[in-house]
Amino acid sequence: MTVKKAVITAAGKDQRALPLQTLIDQDGEEKPVLQMLVEQALSAKVEEVCVVTWPGDEGRYLQAAGKWAGRVRFLAQPRPLGYGHAVYCAREFTGGEAFLHMVGDHLYVSQQGQGCARQVAELAVAEQCAVSAVQPTRETLLQQYGAVGGRLAGRRDVYRVETVLEKPTPTEAEQKLIVPGLRAGHYLCFFGMHVLTPAVMEILGQRLGAAPDGPVTLSSALAELARREQYLALEASGRRYDIGTRYGLLTAQLAVGLSGQDRAEVLARVVEVLADRELGR
Amino acid sequence: MRRLVGVITAVGEEERNRPLDGLCAGMSLGEMLEECEDLDGFRRRSENLYERVRALFFLYSIHRFHLPRKAGADGRALIPFEGYEHLLKRRFPEAIDIFLRAQGAAGPNAAISSALAAAYSALGFQTLADQVRRSVRSVRGNQWMFRVGHPADYPLRIRKELLRRAAGEPLFPILHEATPVRMDLTHSGWSDIFFLGMDFPEGARVLNISIDLSVRGTGSPKPPVEAFFRVIDQPVLRLVSVDLNASVELTTIAEVFDFARDYLGLLKAAVIASGLIPPGIEGATQPLADVLANLVGMRGHGIEIVSKVNDIPKGSRLAVSTNLLACLIAVCMRATRQIEALTGGLEEGDRRLVAARAILGEWLGGSGGGWQDSGGVWPGMKLIRGVRAAEGDPEYGISKGCLLPRHTILGMEDVPEETRAKLQESLVLVHGGMAQDVGPILEMVTEKYLLRSEAEWRGRQEAIRILDEVLGHLKSGDVRGIGVCTQRNFEGPIQTIIPWAGNLYTDTLIRGARAEMGEDFWGFWMLGGMSGGGMGFLFDPRRKAEAQERLQGIMSRTKRRLEHAAPFAMEPVVYDFAINERGTRAELLEGEANLLPPGYYTLTLPALLRTEPRLLPAARRAELDRFSAACRKTPEFAGMVQQLFDHMLPRGREEEGAARSVESLLEEYGFDRVQHEQIRNDLRGGRIGLAQNRLPVSATITDVRPGDVTDATGGLEERYSELGREALAAGAAAVVSLAGGVGSRWTKGAGVVKALNPFCKLGGRHRSFIEVHLAKSLRVSRECGVAVPHVITTSYLTHGAIEAYLREEGNCGYPGPLFLSPGRSIGLRLAPMERDLRFAWEEMPQQMLDERAQKVREGLRATLIAWAKQMGEGSDYTDNLPVQCLHPVGHWYEVPNLLRNGVLLRLFEERPGLRYLLVHNIDTAGTDLDAALLGLHIESGAAMTMEVIPRHIEDRGGGLARMNGRVRLIEGLALPGEEMESRLSYYNTATAWIDIDKLLAAFGLRRDELGDEQKVTEAVRKMAARMPAYITLKDVKKRWGKGQEDVFPVAQFEKLWGDMTALPDLDCRFVAAPRVRGQQLKEPAQLDGWLRDGSAAYVESLCRWG
Repeated sequence: MTVKKAVITAAGKDQRALPLQTLIDQDGEEKPVLQMLVEQALSAKVEEVCVVTWPGDEGRYLQAAGKWAGRVRFLAQPRPLGYGHAVYCAREFTGGEAFLHMVGDHLYVSQQGQGCARQVAELAVAEQCAVSAVQPTRETLLQQYGAVGGRLAGRRDVYRVETVLEKPTPTEAEQKLIVPGLRAGHYLCFFGMHVLTPAVMEILGQRLGAAPDGPVTLSSALAELARREQYLALEASGRRYDIGTRYGLLTAQLAVGLSGQDRAEVLARVVEVLADRELGR
Repeated sequence: MRRLVGVITAVGEEERNRPLDGLCAGMSLGEMLEECEDLDGFRRRSENLYERVRALFFLYSIHRFHLPRKAGADGRALIPFEGYEHLLKRRFPEAIDIFLRAQGAAGPNAAISSALAAAYSALGFQTLADQVRRSVRSVRGNQWMFRVGHPADYPLRIRKELLRRAAGEPLFPILHEATPVRMDLTHSGWSDIFFLGMDFPEGARVLNISIDLSVRGTGSPKPPVEAFFRVIDQPVLRLVSVDLNASVELTTIAEVFDFARDYLGLLKAAVIASGLIPPGIEGATQPLADVLANLVGMRGHGIEIVSKVNDIPKGSRLAVSTNLLACLIAVCMRATRQIEALTGGLEEGDRRLVAARAILGEWLGGSGGGWQDSGGVWPGMKLIRGVRAAEGDPEYGISKGCLLPRHTILGMEDVPEETRAKLQESLVLVHGGMAQDVGPILEMVTEKYLLRSEAEWRGRQEAIRILDEVLGHLKSGDVRGIGVCTQRNFEGPIQTIIPWAGNLYTDTLIRGARAEMGEDFWGFWMLGGMSGGGMGFLFDPRRKAEAQERLQGIMSRTKRRLEHAAPFAMEPVVYDFAINERGTRAELLEGEANLLPPGYYTLTLPALLRTEPRLLPAARRAELDRFSAACRKTPEFAGMVQQLFDHMLPRGREEEGAARSVESLLEEYGFDRVQHEQIRNDLRGGRIGLAQNRLPVSATITDVRPGDVTDATGGLEERYSELGREALAAGAAAVVSLAGGVGSRWTKGAGVVKALNPFCKLGGRHRSFIEVHLAKSLRVSRECGVAVPHVITTSYLTHGAIEAYLREEGNCGYPGPLFLSPGRSIGLRLAPMERDLRFAWEEMPQQMLDERAQKVREGLRATLIAWAKQMGEGSDYTDNLPVQCLHPVGHWYEVPNLLRNGVLLRLFEERPGLRYLLVHNIDTAGTDLDAALLGLHIESGAAMTMEVIPRHIEDRGGGLARMNGRVRLIEGLALPGEEMESRLSYYNTATAWIDIDKLLAAFGLRRDELGDEQKVTEAVRKMAARMPAYITLKDVKKRWGKGQEDVFPVAQFEKLWGDMTALPDLDCRFVAAPRVRGQQLKEPAQLDGWLRDGSAAYVESLCRWG
């Protein structure tokens, strides 16, 4: 199995504008979020990227893709039938191959030299199966993410996925998603980054066929995938930042800035703001 | 390792189930002490919860029932106050250490054993309760709720369907849940108590049926409990109970956790247990609106939860409150997507979660039920069984069984449809109307199970077999066979395990049903913890309607006959019922149907109508429009206008009637208004009160010395008996039983005549206290050859009922002279002073309750203080039934009443040779005209001999002391400090031997002057003035609604006979009597121990039944 293609979804009504926001990356270069995501994908040895957009957004996205525009294709989701449908829109692009999937409203900061996407893709290739990046997340944030339950699979950061639930309540999570070795009240929540096998497109197709008006979630398809074939979760060495939440963009910029070459400058600015506020009273 | 530890740790069932009583029977005192030491060491080191608990109960039982009876266990010791204090503060291990040291110093003795028994038992129950709590918290799905401590961490969101409104519609949809209640067909020896299920899962089985209900003649049965949930456009949590007529809008987190503040404690428990406001957030100071904003996802919005119980009275034994809790929890969990299904029924996993949350809710509210109680959540008939804990269960390695049982729904192949129909057509379900406290019974069951008492253990095995028989009959369709089983279960195992599960009322109903329906009465079916409230009777289906009619008649007649003798909360009712095959279900009310139940509007509309329409929120205005449309169109809402008027107009006439009635009663019973006003002014002015009851701290109070008390605990010399027998044969003695009181503690202020309470089966049937005392007088009469005159003193509360009872029962077969001595004094109760309430609750030693129950109690006390202030501290208490507003003024007056009401004069006419009176309280069941004690009194030449008993831990309320050099009785109310009581060896039994002439002399009277009413009255008044008046707080019940009861503390004054011993001109002596003779029965919870420690057998041996 190889991973040569990536699908980025950005068709959600409330997230359309997010990939177009401009931030300063770790190298101090100003660029749109979309471009940073494409670079993340390319770092995982992906050759071609497909972005699923809201109809009519393609032009603006093409512009945002900047120097990578040649390696990016755009596909419009014709009707808002849910996240699962958005991924399914790229079925012809993926063409029966495994692919890297990322969401358009997250940014990733790796804690080691290797990018998060690359870590996921390498594991998927090594184990020849679907892999989702996950991050232990406090139960109070469960309502924002899909979450998985499972057991360690030979490595301290890899889990065999047994259950997948979309935005579970803590009540459900405690009953179905307990993972040995995690702190109390923490669950493995999706990172917004997966390597998916063709079986996922097949399951999505079946589900959309059964419920043509949607919505079909990716989590429900992944839950089915876990029953059908080996499906792993990788506790990626890095952090995800949801830029769609309140102050999400600011937090993401700070995180990127503090882990890049302008770290000292960013830190100094933050301290200056704090000092001004305190001393200016 | 000694024998008893070996039994606890035995692997083999036979050895492990060996009864403790048998094991102790052959032990010497030394062996027993060694066993105790070994058990105590074992319970300290054992890591297994149930081994520890069983060792604790073994130790309790040995100290309570076995050790004190052993020869040589007669050391004398005072119970250390420090240990007693630890006991009150629930520091049981520390208390045990202190008591053990005291036992080591003084040798084995009954007093220290009583303290050890209390501490071991309390520690045992505490350990069990803690474990259940830990298990409830550790159930998966419940744990997160204890971790959320800040509104910002709040994880739940209202599901979208409840926030969806059509264009122009200001009202959010309503989620409505309706839940059946549960009926227990097999009882199974209370095997649904958590402790039993967790230690003996194989034996924990019940057959539980979900039912719909209606009071007969009020329409077809429907799910009796309902809950409604909706989002509102105000940032408050609005809770409304339609049946309790109560509503509240909560704006702070603290208010949600204050259960006793209003009648909405159950709704609050549901809100917390459902995770809506999770328990971990208790104590957070952020506004509730912050949590609500997170929950709803919008600022400025809140939640309204409405509960409704359809006319089912409290105490129905159908677990109405647990199922209402479960219903409320289910609706809240659906609304927050903790349960996937928004409408319709529930999946098994969801039902189990709701049941676990209901257990949590009961713990939070300080109440408790069994694990089958939320059975209404499940559909139809189900077998509920204990489950062995397996690896992965939170209970694994701690207890044998899991906290939650397994429910197996019985299909049509297990119980065919026609059998279900036949069962419905055969069973007459009733509420007998009695008010009961099941709590002590559940503790007794647990204790007996852990001790494996022989008869009870056999009973439990029999109950398990009966369940299998019932299952067989259900399969074969033999409903008559079921009736035989349930009747056998009630008469056999149930009453073998707990004799108090039955009572005279139930026995009378069963006899009545059999007499009126003959062979067509198939059997009695006990529901829940005890009989008298909710009960079932099986009849031939062909005669069901007639049986319903007749049973209503039997119950009403029997209740009328017994209502002064036993606590009734309401008129008996017969239900219609149907098996509910659906379990709990929910529906979404939208559009036209978007309305709450009619009772909700009766409750909330008056306040809304008083508000200007323009000030009402848009949603409220729209709701009013929809309501008024419904009143015109919907049959359910027909007649609402009239109901609203009834609700809004003050019911002045009724209140006036009640007030007149109090007035007329006061007039009738010779109320001393001048004295009352003096007391009221003194109370308000702070001149009298609980603190002022106390003697000055300068008083020197010490324990008595040897020689101050004659010790008759081991019997007296024969010459005293001879002297006494001669006096009895000469007709020189009479008995005076004090029966003016209503035994506030016996029925928690229910206003029942304690003297008439059929408290125990003696001589083959239930006997009242009066019957027991007369039976003892009959024995003495026969032994001495002269009928003993017996006087029963009465008060306004008890006279009519006692008179009627004796007339009806033919003086209980007592052939001797029997007089009633009506009370001549009456008081009017007062609303308490805040300072007295605080003194009683904060300054005096109090038994602390378990953590949650204590919290509820503290909330309740704050509410009661607010109530007292609102009533007007020290003002006349008239807000209750007239008889509950009056009070007898203490038993000091009862002897002088004999002088004033002519009864003593009549006694002298009947028995000119009468010289001595034995005066005793109605609840001192073991007191009789003992010849030796009478002889002792005669020979002493004293005016009065008071009986005392060596003090045990439960004997609180003063005792015998030396005060400033004089030996006298001191009331607990008068002791200057709490610890002083623990330094007094003897407790007052309130039994007095009186030399009549010498007593009259103290009053300044002679027997030939008793006819001079004015002189007698003057003498009594003079003596009364020398007696201190104590202010006391008494609990009084106020009944309302359908079997609901509130308990209020009210102030009253009392003068007490024991203070006569302080008079310098009255020669008083004191004699220590055996405990079996002198102990008083103050609470029904004492009865089981009283029966088991040989006290009941002792009393029975004194009686000859007439």
